Amino acid sequence: MASGDVVLSVRGLTKSYGAQRPALSHVSFELHAGEVLCLVGENGAGKSTLIKILAGAVAPDAGTIELGGRSFGSLRPGEAMGLGVATIYQDVELIDSLSVADNIFLGSERRGRIPLTVDAPAQARAAREYLDLLHMAIDEKALVEDLSAAQKQNLQIAKALHREARILIMDEPTSSLGYEEKRSLMGLVRELKQRGMAVIYISHYLEEVFEIGDTILVLKDGEPVGLNRREEVDIDFIVRSMVGRDASAFYRRERVPLGPVRLKVRGMRWAGVVEDVSFEVRAGEIFGIGGLVGAGRTELVTLLFGARVPDAGELELDGVPVKARHPADAIRRRICLITEDRKKYAMFGPRSTLENIAVVHNEFQGGPLIDRRGERRLAEGMISRLRIAVSGPEQEIQSLSGGNQQKAVIARWMAEDADLYIFDEPTKGVDVGAKEEIYRLMVEFARGGKSVIMISSDMPELLSISDRIGIMRGGRMVRIVDNAGIDEQMLIKEFIGL
Amino acid sequence: MNTQLPVAVESRRSIPRLSLLRSQWFLLLVVMVVIALFTGSINPRFFRTNNIVNIFEQISTLGVVASGATILMISGNFDISVGANIGISSCVMAMLIKAGLPETLAVGAGLLVAVLCGLFVGVNAILWRAPSFIISLAAIGVFRGIALALTQATLQTIYGKFEGLGATRFFGVVPLIFLVSLAVYAVVGFILKFTRIGRRIYAIGANEQAAFLSGISIDRNKLAFFVLNGLLVGIAGTMLLSRVGAAQPSTGAGIELQAIGAVVIGGTPMSGGKGRIVGTFFGVLLMGVISNALNMLQVSPYFQDVTFGLLIIFSVAISALGRRRGRAPA
Repeated sequence: MASGDVVLSVRGLTKSYGAQRPALSHVSFELHAGEVLCLVGENGAGKSTLIKILAGAVAPDAGTIELGGRSFGSLRPGEAMGLGVATIYQDVELIDSLSVADNIFLGSERRGRIPLTVDAPAQARAAREYLDLLHMAIDEKALVEDLSAAQKQNLQIAKALHREARILIMDEPTSSLGYEEKRSLMGLVRELKQRGMAVIYISHYLEEVFEIGDTILVLKDGEPVGLNRREEVDIDFIVRSMVGRDASAFYRRERVPLGPVRLKVRGMRWAGVVEDVSFEVRAGEIFGIGGLVGAGRTELVTLLFGARVPDAGELELDGVPVKARHPADAIRRRICLITEDRKKYAMFGPRSTLENIAVVHNEFQGGPLIDRRGERRLAEGMISRLRIAVSGPEQEIQSLSGGNQQKAVIARWMAEDADLYIFDEPTKGVDVGAKEEIYRLMVEFARGGKSVIMISSDMPELLSISDRIGIMRGGRMVRIVDNAGIDEQMLIKEFIGL
Repeated sequence: MNTQLPVAVESRRSIPRLSLLRSQWFLLLVVMVVIALFTGSINPRFFRTNNIVNIFEQISTLGVVASGATILMISGNFDISVGANIGISSCVMAMLIKAGLPETLAVGAGLLVAVLCGLFVGVNAILWRAPSFIISLAAIGVFRGIALALTQATLQTIYGKFEGLGATRFFGVVPLIFLVSLAVYAVVGFILKFTRIGRRIYAIGANEQAAFLSGISIDRNKLAFFVLNGLLVGIAGTMLLSRVGAAQPSTGAGIELQAIGAVVIGGTPMSGGKGRIVGTFFGVLLMGVISNALNMLQVSPYFQDVTFGLLIIFSVAISALGRRRGRAPA
């Protein structure tokens, strides 16, 4: 229960960039010690702007922030930190080449006896204490580059603790974590709450929000739609207020009659990562692949797409073997892969939406010259078909919202009319509206007799979209289950291997 | 449903937005006009035909080298051995001409050397997955050392021979080498804008991983970029040799930094994935105008270096300010 003192009070925060509608408009709330306030809303709803204001990275146009007994019109980054606000961003900000202890003490090093030196042993001891306090199994002497994503996140929390943070802001902390890691992060947040830490928690995953939130603040188009106590609302209510209409976390897809087997995978192997994976996908089927992060799912599809040559294994599409030694080989056989991390693996950030959509088309159609009229037609067609919100085809893709970026990346492959579509976490970091459109597309592909493989860590998605689910654990596909007879709990048990 | 932004695709042509790059060229143009007017008011000789022709002649070689650098920088690569490459390829040409070989054969051999030098940098950068900056840094020593060994460190003069390219002026005013450099700009501009390999240059520079996963073969294309750059460097070396009438291993030294500077002044970011040849054209022209103006104003050559250094910082600052102003809401 949130019953502590008010540690942060925000009134009427408003911020607009340029002439558009405000990114944030008249947001007010109070945060108490030991309270977990969850911030939800579609991409572009103003969550990031709000936390940037609280972290001092952005100055609001209007409104006040009361923090540490003082009232501010805007904060500077150092000020926010000095008053106990610690922000953990999606992109973890640590120094890879330094040790865990060094990172915790970065900027506030313990001085050694000799001037200008650091008392490394004392730092290591103190770091150990922080880590033990939080029950973190991280070696304080390890280099940060050797840590997993989850460990890095934990380390940032330990660092916040060292800085005596009283308000912890977490931006999508679980988006790159596996199931178990998520569980332990939830536990950690609960522990921090017990110690009187106030937490502002931002997540697309509403199950998490309902698990740990005390209060839920919904933002829509920059405006606060409602500040709710968790006990008084349910997921459907929150989803409705986020999107302004009825929607369920479980998408009800249309079922498509399955055709003959189109894709056969036999004994796919990448030593130490993917072991002897075999499965088949039929025409019109959406084959889900589930498992914990690190189970070898992404690596498996990397092999199917020819982005890495497998150590062993065969791939057959419509009865003809596919020998893909380069993605170009796979694309020629009408296989396409929509990758997981679009910033890293799919987007040409500084290029136009048009070029991003036309890239595969241009690479595989026609001669050495670009058909500029054709590619424009293609891009404009895709933009209207997928309802990509852009000012025009020339707009840089990196200035679009996450959902629109993802749609533009998918459009790249739709132009190719492939036979096998592989989606790796197709809706990660995508708002609810865009999510449904992506699902609709996948079903459309299936209806067209194509085969679809979908890797997903989102349980409702995996369960509601897939016809069958291949479960991967430790590089092996341990079981293939029919969607009809399985629920979330059973699936999770399979993932962990219970 | 996406309720955030109106979908505006109905209009066939989207409204031409004044891009940062375009405003950068515009700025360059304004700066150039201001400098010209200022210099001309102090020293009227600046506006004489002869002087203006001189400027064009002086920037021709740099323009060709900078065109190649534009390709490489957009693709996220560098070749700082181009100065040494000019040295070795023009020495080879001069020696062969001196030995009595037909000019076309000698030039052909020189171009081949330049292409091989580009290939050398490219192959090593790709093979060892090393930054091309470092590989080309190392290549400077290799190329210059070979050139020194070949020439025994002597000046290779070919006075009276092979002057056609460097000395021809149409109607007595338009230098042939300037026309050659314009043609190179045009070809590079065409490649960047209208061809598949042009799109690959941008794609690889913007995101190599994404380009690979879009079916583009990275290594083969990168190699092509380096070879193309080598060819352009060879052309630049030929132009320089014909104009000067002599070559030595240190010929062309330092041009790599001028070229990179001109490309940056023209608005192509060091991070790659962006940039246009028009920017490079104006960058080179501005450097030529400033250099000439400083001579006309009788500024000490030492301060010319200072000026160019500051000019590069100035243009980087302009781009940075533009980015900051145009930063999109997250």
